[in-house]
Amino acid sequence: MLSRDAEHLYWLSRYVERVENTARLINVNSELMLDFPGDKTLGWKSIVETLDNLDIYQRRYITFKESNVINFLSQEKDNPNSIKNCLIKAAYNVKETRDCLPQSSTEQINNLLNEFDRSISKSSRIKPKDMYKLIEGSQRFFGIINDNFSTGSVFEFIRLGRYVERVDMISRTLDTLCVSKKNSQTHDFSTLEWASMLRNLSAQGAYRDEVKGEIERGSVLKFLFKNKGFPRSINNCLMEIDKSVAILPNNRLLKEEVSKVIEKIASSKVENYDDDKLHDFLDNLQNKIFNLDSRIHKSWFHLHG
Amino acid sequence: MTISWKNYTTSPCFDEYLNKSKSFRGHTKKIGKFLESLNPRDLYEINNATESAIKSMGISFRVYSEEYIEGKDRSWPLDFIPRIIRKKEWDKVEKGLEQRVKALNLFIQDCYNDQKFLRDSDMDESLIMDSPAFKDYCLGMKLKHDSWSSICGSDLIKDEDGKFYVLEDNLRVPSGVSYMLENRTVMKRVFPDLFKHYGVMPVSAYPAKLYQTLASLSYSRTRQPEIVLLTPGIYNSAYYEHSYLAQQMGIDLVQGTDLVVLKDNFVYKKTIEGLVRVDVIYRRIDDDFLDPSKGNKDSVLGVDGLIESWKKKQVSIINAPGCGIADDKAVYSFVPEMIRYYLKEDPLIDNLKTYLMSDKESLALIDEKFKEFVIKPVAESGGYGIVIGKSASKKEKEETLELIKKDPRNYIAQPLALLSTSPTFDKGLIEPRHLDLRPFILTGEKSYVTVGGLTRVALKKGSTVVNSSQGGGSKDTWIVDK
Repeated sequence: MLSRDAEHLYWLSRYVERVENTARLINVNSELMLDFPGDKTLGWKSIVETLDNLDIYQRRYITFKESNVINFLSQEKDNPNSIKNCLIKAAYNVKETRDCLPQSSTEQINNLLNEFDRSISKSSRIKPKDMYKLIEGSQRFFGIINDNFSTGSVFEFIRLGRYVERVDMISRTLDTLCVSKKNSQTHDFSTLEWASMLRNLSAQGAYRDEVKGEIERGSVLKFLFKNKGFPRSINNCLMEIDKSVAILPNNRLLKEEVSKVIEKIASSKVENYDDDKLHDFLDNLQNKIFNLDSRIHKSWFHLHG
Repeated sequence: MTISWKNYTTSPCFDEYLNKSKSFRGHTKKIGKFLESLNPRDLYEINNATESAIKSMGISFRVYSEEYIEGKDRSWPLDFIPRIIRKKEWDKVEKGLEQRVKALNLFIQDCYNDQKFLRDSDMDESLIMDSPAFKDYCLGMKLKHDSWSSICGSDLIKDEDGKFYVLEDNLRVPSGVSYMLENRTVMKRVFPDLFKHYGVMPVSAYPAKLYQTLASLSYSRTRQPEIVLLTPGIYNSAYYEHSYLAQQMGIDLVQGTDLVVLKDNFVYKKTIEGLVRVDVIYRRIDDDFLDPSKGNKDSVLGVDGLIESWKKKQVSIINAPGCGIADDKAVYSFVPEMIRYYLKEDPLIDNLKTYLMSDKESLALIDEKFKEFVIKPVAESGGYGIVIGKSASKKEKEETLELIKKDPRNYIAQPLALLSTSPTFDKGLIEPRHLDLRPFILTGEKSYVTVGGLTRVALKKGSTVVNSSQGGGSKDTWIVDK
């Protein structure tokens, strides 16, 4: 496979997954806010921080009120990671790789962009329904891919992009939670918070299968980091990355790096870490993911100088 | 109320469906009767089904003048009433096209080698030697199977006598073949029953034939040739076709930045496994952009050192650089002579009578009978720069003659051909519209002509401009055996 095609497929996949994750984040936070309508300390700022976009945000807006943040996350032109911009970039990458992809998958991306455009032109206020449509649409795209390939370079680069993006987003979201916990709060809402984290990842059912009783920090952390069966656990994302790496050529260095991260998580006692320690651990994990991404670029996309 | 042919006017042009007494020609009877059984609402319904099939398949094209907007490609215009040609008639055309392209290829090779034709014929040699398409670096090159224009798209028209004539030969990077293939796919979705009863010859062999042609032009004898399609990228008007053909042939669609020429003069593509040697490049970019060191210095589309590699026969470039010298409307007028000269045969398809404006007598004739002629600049394509005498104002006539006198070698004139018509859907009615036909001719170890080709139709009443960039549409072309 051409290096350029591989890079387009990888980024196509990352952008589609980013659309899904952003939509999830918006939905779950909207719901959480409904539980505490009057609480001013709760809010939308942490989500902007999670996505590393605070600078850009503050150039355009002053307050972190819901409508601002949702507008910023879904359709702000200057926000490179807004849903709209992610969809545009996904459509661009699809066009570049149309000859590698099943037609129905390229149609799916174009339709997703067109439908989203239609819904934001109809009403400036984004509704939860629109977010569910995006989540569904992204999942359908990956469904088509999985239905057309079971291996091969197209499949592997799409899988790689999807899980690198996913593990990146989970670690960011977790980090935001422990940072925001440091601020003083009027409610003891930690249970709610962790429950919303699970909801964000559609993980309640799977979590409930494993852990009975109250939703509690340590067991949630253990579940999200180490669970082997749930597709949105950090361990599982890394295992998927590992599978793709194993199949692709020139993989020696990457294989080693991925294994190290997997081992590090398995051997940690993350469920017992306090917020500071967890933050450091996540910081470290973020760096490792960043390095994996650079190594992916060096191994397959930019190996020709 | 069903449709009727009473108001369908045919004369003075040749109509593909009806003869002068307004009865169906033998091979169009069945579909003619079928169309008669429909009412305007049915026609609209079929038209909508056609349009939505095209939209969901994503068949699109781009007009150059338009600013690039994501997702703003235009849907491909297809008229659902097929153009029908009898196989017996087509067989002759096929032979004629093979003959013609063979002679053209020999002519190109001759121009870069012995230049015998230029010496032995009346052709003004400056037509070739001064042409911007003439590349000095091609001198002395002899190509495998003498194939310079390995993929040629020749435009055919039918005059009022119902005979096919060649209007021009597109020898450089002709496009449109993907639309021929997709038109058929759409039509099969829309009219499955008609195909069952008609015995339409399939067109789907083209991608495999193209692959075989490209493979046969590889210089490497020891291995399965590595073939790529070189595109200028997603902003090109024909990008849809490039990605379609690459996918159909199962070859990589590359851009200039994906290729590199190393010190060993071989061309390599950059893959996830490292560099992989390339044997054949089906290029869809113009000569001057192929190699910045030999043409447009600022080109970011091409590859440094590509021409050198080609000259050393370490890579095949299809179509060959420099083949555009024969893609010129003045050179066109000599094709019948080329056929006699190189092949010692009589041409099987005629040219349109063509007057070179560098000839004083011809120029005088045009001045006198301007209304009967069409004036064309020799090197333009896409229908640009054409002046139709009949519809030109007095001022336009004077301006045109002025232009010709300034640069007579740059213009030719042809008698206004009355392009044939075929029934075409227009706002609930079926009306005659003018059309032409672009078949594609492949030349490698073997030669191959598409079964029919891309029929282009002028959708505006009375218009003869069939180019899709200027309001033209297309039709599925049926070759029927009966």
